[in-house]
Formats: sequence, structure tokens, C-alpha cells
Amino acid sequence: MRRRARAPAAAEAAARRRPVNRPVPALAGVAEPGVYPRLTRGGSLWLVAAALLVVPLHSVRAQVIGEAVELERTGRHDRAAVVYLAVLRGEPTNLAALLGLERVLPPLGRLPELLPLVRRALARDSTNRAFRALEVRTLATLNEPDSAEDAARRWIALAPGDEGPYREWALALADARRFDEARAVLVAGQRALGGSRAGALAVELADLAARRGDWEDAARQWGRAATAAPDQLPNAAAQLVDVAPGQRDRVTRALVEDPSPVARRLGAELLLAWGDPARAWAVFEPAVTAAGSPQAAFALRRFADLAGARGTAEGRRVRALALARLADVVPQPVAARARADAARALLDAGDFAAARPVLERLAADSTAPADAQALANTALVEALIRQDDLDAATARLAAVGDRVPADDRAALGRALVRARIRRGELARADSALAGDSSVDAAALRGWVALYRGDLKAGADEFRAAGPYAGERRDAVERTAMLALMQQVRRDRFPELGDALLTLARGDSIGAVQALRLTAGQLTAEGQRGGAAELLLLAGRIAARPGAGPEEQRTAATLFAEVVRIGEGGGEGTGAAAPAAELEWARLLLRQLQALEAVRHLEHLILSYPESAVVPEARRELERAKGAVPKS
Amino acid sequence: MRAVGRTAGLALGADFLGAPSPLTAFYRLLPPSTAQLLLPMDDLQSDHLKAYGVAYRVVQAGLRAEWLLNYRGGSFLVPDGDAIRRDAALAGVRVEPVTDTQVTAIKGEIEASNMDAVPLEKAPKVAVYVPPNAPPWDDAVTMALQYAGIPFAKVWDPEVMAGGLRTYDWLHLHHEDFTGQYSKFYLIYAGAPWLGEMVRFNGAAARQLGFASVPELKKAVARGIRDYVGNGGFLFAMCTATETLDLALAAEGVDIAAAFADGTPMDPQADAKLDWSKALAFTGGHLEPNPQVASFSDIDGHQVNAGFRRQPLGAFKLFNFSAKIDPVPTMLVQSHRDVIPDFYGLTTSFMRSRLKPSITVLGDEEGAPWVKYVHGDHGKGTWTFFGGHDPEDQQHQIGDPPTDLSLHPHSPGYRLILNNVLFPAAKKRELKT
Repeated sequence: MRRRARAPAAAEAAARRRPVNRPVPALAGVAEPGVYPRLTRGGSLWLVAAALLVVPLHSVRAQVIGEAVELERTGRHDRAAVVYLAVLRGEPTNLAALLGLERVLPPLGRLPELLPLVRRALARDSTNRAFRALEVRTLATLNEPDSAEDAARRWIALAPGDEGPYREWALALADARRFDEARAVLVAGQRALGGSRAGALAVELADLAARRGDWEDAARQWGRAATAAPDQLPNAAAQLVDVAPGQRDRVTRALVEDPSPVARRLGAELLLAWGDPARAWAVFEPAVTAAGSPQAAFALRRFADLAGARGTAEGRRVRALALARLADVVPQPVAARARADAARALLDAGDFAAARPVLERLAADSTAPADAQALANTALVEALIRQDDLDAATARLAAVGDRVPADDRAALGRALVRARIRRGELARADSALAGDSSVDAAALRGWVALYRGDLKAGADEFRAAGPYAGERRDAVERTAMLALMQQVRRDRFPELGDALLTLARGDSIGAVQALRLTAGQLTAEGQRGGAAELLLLAGRIAARPGAGPEEQRTAATLFAEVVRIGEGGGEGTGAAAPAAELEWARLLLRQLQALEAVRHLEHLILSYPESAVVPEARRELERAKGAVPKS
Repeated sequence: MRAVGRTAGLALGADFLGAPSPLTAFYRLLPPSTAQLLLPMDDLQSDHLKAYGVAYRVVQAGLRAEWLLNYRGGSFLVPDGDAIRRDAALAGVRVEPVTDTQVTAIKGEIEASNMDAVPLEKAPKVAVYVPPNAPPWDDAVTMALQYAGIPFAKVWDPEVMAGGLRTYDWLHLHHEDFTGQYSKFYLIYAGAPWLGEMVRFNGAAARQLGFASVPELKKAVARGIRDYVGNGGFLFAMCTATETLDLALAAEGVDIAAAFADGTPMDPQADAKLDWSKALAFTGGHLEPNPQVASFSDIDGHQVNAGFRRQPLGAFKLFNFSAKIDPVPTMLVQSHRDVIPDFYGLTTSFMRSRLKPSITVLGDEEGAPWVKYVHGDHGKGTWTFFGGHDPEDQQHQIGDPPTDLSLHPHSPGYRLILNNVLFPAAKKRELKT
């Protein structure tokens, strides 16, 4: 039956999908708007098919194939099949149409229709690999294994050096769960393709072994595949990494004992993924530097990245070793950068002793690029600070001059000041800050003043620093100190400065005792609010996570004291008591005393309904009652 | 502990840590009082969801509360007392003391408007249908119950088959696939340990209870649930449970499960053999014949996992009912928001064309062919279906962290869930065994 032709543009417009139909007028009781995307009723489809018959242009066919794919995507397999068939009538060897039919005919139960079309295509182009593969797959899907085998053998005869027939034939057998036969086909294929292609079909054999659960064989095959094509190594690692723990030893042994350095590298990567970086490096290092080991630099960089991604100290250390090794195999200037990265990695791993000579060598290397030298010098100063060798750090910083950018020099200088403060060398810290008008320097001067007991100067400097100096955590700390100083209401308080310096130097127990004494002084002066705040601070220090039982008992005593002060009333006592009750409850929760914690939290919420800590208290109450969902 | 939540939480209210609730015990000591407290449910309320819990515990203590439908967002009127104030304060729920004069004025306003005052007389005993080995998704209803502090018990297939539902007033279904096809999760999560465990666990249960396959067991459970509703129970179902419950009921004696579920493919004539008269809400639905498509039927409007069929989310609007003439649907739609953003689930919505004519639509998306929230009667009981998985997680994926309701204390979607929990308290009934 002839169809009336329309202009192609109109057909195209008619075939274009309509958007989801919303909004639409209000529905009648049983009316149902057509909201799903749909074409006009078949009209454009026949027009498209007719156009193909009349105008066999490649560009039109390509566009029509696109339309058919769109039909497929919207689930209209029957209509897509019509289009594909129409294309093949005009061009029997159109691969896109054949593959399209391979997708849409099975859900329609019409796959047998594909076979004669494939054979027609083969009749016109008997050497086309895609057609041959399609014939084998179709026969396998039609559950004609003998015919599939015949088709594969015909293909082999035509292309004896091609992996394709063995691959398709084996896949068809494997999909039918005939694993042993599939394996035999692949092994026969390997043999037929010859020794020069030892990696041929290894990936397929590995995949097959994995499907059968034979991970040791899969590892061996992946080793062969990666040896033949080192680019396969990441794929191999990705598949083998999910091996069950019980089989990992066998997999590792199969790879580590393989003569191929690439296979041993694969084994090393797996050891890394399975949490044994030290052993991984012991296997990897000789493999990557062995004669004939390809892409050593790439492999070392990859290994370093994988080791760093572990996030463990040992992983970071192994990363550093890999980077140091990388520096030996790459030319300058990459070597210098790699050496600097290795040194940083050693510092990150906490191995200062190992990092220092690497850094010094790099810093002294005048042939190294400027940024690598800057990196080395910066890292060296940081390392010296961390090792508490402040005089050496000061000397090194003075010596680097403009080899380190100005901003980095300033940051290093402030790090030195912080280190001096922690050692109690307040005068040296102060003098180091002379002439520095930055907000970071103001913040540090504030701490120096505070530790000297000059609360007014400290508060002034903190206000000058504002919220911008340092990290957010630093700003919060300064704000907390300002709030504390407001409650203390003294311009000078050397004992408090000493107590805070004791805390800054890491002596928590000493700081708690000192803060209790300062609170006692304020109580004697009638400053109950300030005393409560100091006791609260002492309690928080004593209750910190990791504190021992004795300190925890001290914390509870201190919190109880603050609560008693709050209940007694008085100026400035309002905020400390609920905060103490909350900290007390948190301590009890850490001690798994949920009932007691609940009692405190309920008391807090009911007694201090206007307190700023009530929302936190409610949250802790829910947590204590198990009402907060766990991820 | 009498009731345990999914996340190993502790049930609130009754039997906290094995001790009787001090709250309910204390309530009974209160002298008679005419003083009352209003729990407003408009935008002034500081925690809408916990307000339901406060109201529930008042009723649980044997005190009388009233639900003021459409008054200030569906407020509650409860007796005034220290223990109730204490409970509200701890929960962060706003209460407003009201004098007799104010109560009179409120009642006058209710009388003159599309409002009603419904007494709440009996706290329902709540059960949640969930397998003992918790699947890795979260149930919006159990989260709401835990957050509000409403106790609940867990039941599963053995309890249903043994007639255990009769001891509960209210039953919740969420993510269960009553067609027995494990929600077709194998299409996306094949190999996942939890899926393997689910298959093993359900298979063992089917064998233990004497069923040839899991689909057959689930169909029997579905019939048990339908009978529970028919005998006067209240059913609230969300997500997959809505659609699959009805499919299971309609498919009595028909194989609608794919081969991976029961070893045999779906009956090619299954569609024609479905008996929709046995279902609760739906009719005329067509089964998804392709086991490779993550959809059960064409009942669901959004088809979230069916690739190209997936429809984008909009928002749904709650209907207005006459509070005095239709108190039940009015209770179910109490909210301080009329329009609520939609959210996906394995069953997100219900096509209008698949609804039985007798059911009541409570909320729908204007202009769309689907509805979101429906209610109906069956025998002496009622059921409510609410599409979607989690009102505050529009595109929840398995493995996503559970919704923390303390971040959504005013959630209108979760209010709809809690409306369903509280609504049985408004009726006096005895469940027949």
C-alpha cells in the first residue's frame, strides 16, 4: 500500500518527542491525559520507512537510525524494529541496523528473524568481523550451540590469526554456563594464536575463571594479560581486589611468584589494597626496577598515589619511598619535584629523620627548579619546628631569603612564634612579632599577652585580630577566651596566664589544678561568675576524651561545683551552670551512664529553658535515648 | 524493652529501659482539673512532629485530649498539668495555656468554621511489619515513631500467619515487596551481601511456614493483612508495600513472580487472570512482564527505576474536606502546609486510572495523571496508602544515611504519617479476632 509522502522536515517535526504534558486542564472523573512522550499515531513512522526506500542517502539513514534508537529508548521496540528492517532493505550491510535488531528483537520474541539478515550481510562481506561475531552470538542466543560452533569454525578458517571467533564462541558457551567448554575454546585459541601472543585471550580466561570462582587461575591469567599489555594492570587490580579474604594468599602467591615483573607489580598493588603496604613495597620495588619492567616511572607514580590513598601512616611512608624511588628514574626537573614530594610524604608519615637528609640535599641542589627548592626549604623549616629545634629553624628561615615566597616566609615565621609560645619563650615570641601588623600577628600577640597575665592587652589584640586570623578553629578559640575574660573582670591576672600557658604546653593536669586555684581567688573576691567560668574550663579539660578515670572524677566534681554556683545565683553565674550540666551529661554518656546523663539533661532543659545550650541538650537527650538514627 | 526501633533505639514513653514510664504513671495522680493546654500546630509550633508524641502520651495515660481539626493547623487540646508541661518542655514542643474563656472562644470558632473537635480516647497499639534482619534502607514511619516517642512493636510473616495482628490497632507496611520478588533489587544490587541474606532469610521463612516459594508466602501474608483490616484494623502503607500488596491480593492463584523468585516465569496470561475485586485500592492494573525492568506494574505513576519511563517530581496538594462531615480524611490531611514537595519511592504515586472508584484521594499533583495519598475502607477497618519512601529525602538510595528528623521538626510530609498514627485514637472500637 502506498503512503502519501510528506516533506522530510515535517516528518521530522512530527516524529519529535512531545514533552511531559503538564499542566493540563483539570481532569474529569475518569479522563486521563496522555502524558507520556509519544509520536503521532504511526504516521511519521511509515513516512520515515517510505523515505528510506525512496531516498537511500547515508545521511538520511544515519538520522533514521537515530530515530530508531530513540524509539528503542522509549520502549517502542516494535516500531524500532520496523525502522531497522527498513534500513536493511536499502542497505543490507548496515551494521548499526543489525545491532539494533539484535537489541530489539529478543523482547519481541522475534530473534530468529535476525539470522537470515546477518547471513545476507555476510554473503556480501564475508570477512566482516562484526557480522561474524553477530552470527555466532545470534546462534548462541537461539540456543543452537552446534550451529554457533560451526559459525565460529568457519570464521576461524577465514581469519586464523583473529582472537574474535574464539572470544565470541567462548562467551556464548559461558553465558550458557558451559564454563569448561568455554575455557577449552579459549585455551585452544591461545594455542592456535601462537607463543608470540602469549597474552591473547588472557583477559577472557581471567574473566571466565572469576565467574567460576577460581581466583587463583584468574590471577594467573590477569598476570599474563597485564604482561602482554601493561595498560590492563588497573583493570586486573580492579577485578581481583574484591577477592574474598580466604583466597587472597593464593592469589598473591600466584602473582608474586610469577617471573613477569608486571605480574609481580599487580600482586604488589593487591597487597597494598588489602592493607599490607610494607609487604607491597617489598614486592613492588624490585619488580619495578627489574630489567624489562616497562613504564617504571608511571608505575611508581601510580603506586605512590595508591599508597597515599590508604590514609594510614604506613601507607604514607610507603608513598614516600615510592616517590623517592621515582626521583631516581626520572630526569630533572621532574626528579627534584619528586624528591621534594617524597620528603613531604616522609614528613606526613612522621619520619622526620628520614625526611631531613632528603630535604637538605634538595635545598642545596642549585640545579633544582626554584619551586622545588622553595618546597624543600619550607618543608625543612617545618620539620625543624616539629622537631622542636627552634634555633636551627630560625637560622634556616633567615638563610633562605627570597628562595621562599614572602607569604610562605611569613607563615613560617608565625609557626616559629607559636612554637616559642608553647615553650614559654614569650619574650622571644614577642620580639619575633615586632613590626608585623598583620591580623595573624595580632592574634599571636594576644596569646602572648594573655599568657603573661595581661588580660586587657590580650583582649584588645584578639579584637584587633577579629575572626580572620588563622583557621576557623583558631577564631573560635579566641572568641571563647574573650568570653572568659569578660567574666573574669580583671585587667591583670598572672596566675590565670600561667594556668593557660600550662595548658598550652600540654600539661592538662597542671592546668586543671592551676585553674582551680585561680577560681578560688575569684570566689574570694566575690566574682562567682568568673569563678564558675574558670571551673567550667577546668572541668572541660579534665573531661576531654582520653582522660583517665581520676581526671574524669575531677571533671564531675568541677561540673557539680559550677552547677551549685549557678543554683546559688548571682551576677554572671547564669551561663556556666547549664553549660556545665551539658558537659557533665556528655561525660556520663562516654562513661555509658545513660540514665544519669538523661537526668542531668532533663534537669538542664527544665531549669534553664532560655539557655543557649538547650538545643544541644535536647540533641544529646535524644542520642542518650537512642532516638538519633545511626548511619 | 517492650518495643525496639530499627536502629536499635529505645522505645520512648512506655517501658523506657525496662521501667514503667514515669510520665504516664504521674499523670494518673493528677487531680481533676479544667485547666487546659493548647499544642498549636501552625507555624508557631517549635516541633510539630514531637507534638504528636506529646498528644499520644496524654491519651496513652488515659487522659482525654481533643484534636482540633483545621484549627491552627490541626492543634491539640490537652489537660494542663506539670507532667504534661514537663513532657512538652523536654520535647521542645510549644504549649499555650488556655483559660476556660479562651477554650470557649476556640470552640465557638470551630463551630462556626470548617473545623471540628475530635476527642482522642485510646492510644493505638502500633505494629510495624519488618523482617528481623533489617534491610539496609530506612523506614520513614519507624523514624517518625521514634522521633515522636511513640512505641511500636515489630511483626513479620510468622506473626501475621499466626494471627498475631489482632493484638494491634494499627499496622504499618513500608518497603516490603508482597509479590515476593525482593523489590527486583537483583537488577541493580546483584551480588550485594544484604540482598543474598534477604533471599536466604525469606526462603527459610517460606519453608518454615510451609510454602513452596517466597511469592506464595507473601501472598498469604497479604491476605492475612487484608483480613486484619477487614476485622477492624487500621493499615498504613508506604512505598512498595502499597502497590505490591494489592498485586499480591489480586493475583491469588496466579504466578506473577519472575523466575528468579520462584523458579518459574510469570504466567503469560497473568494480567488477564488478576482478580481486582480482592484488592484494596487498585483495579485494572497491568503487570510489568519484563523481569529485567525494575517496575511491578503500571499502577505507579513515576516508575523511578524503569529508565526511560521515569517521571520527574513535582509537588502534591492536600485536599480540603469538610471537617464536620468527613472527619476521617480531614484528620489524615492535617498539616500547616497544603502543598508538599514530592519524593520518590519504588512506588511513588498511583495512577488515577488504576484507582477503585470508591476510594478517597487525599492528595494529588494537580494536572498529573497520578495521585499521592489515598484512603479507603475495607470491612470494619480502614487503610491509607502514601506513595514514596521518605518525605524529606526526595531521591533516597540504599546506603544513604537515614533522615535525621531533628533537622526536619516541621516536616509536613512526616505530619501526614503521624496523622495516620493518631487517627485511630479518635475511634472507639474492639477488634474481633
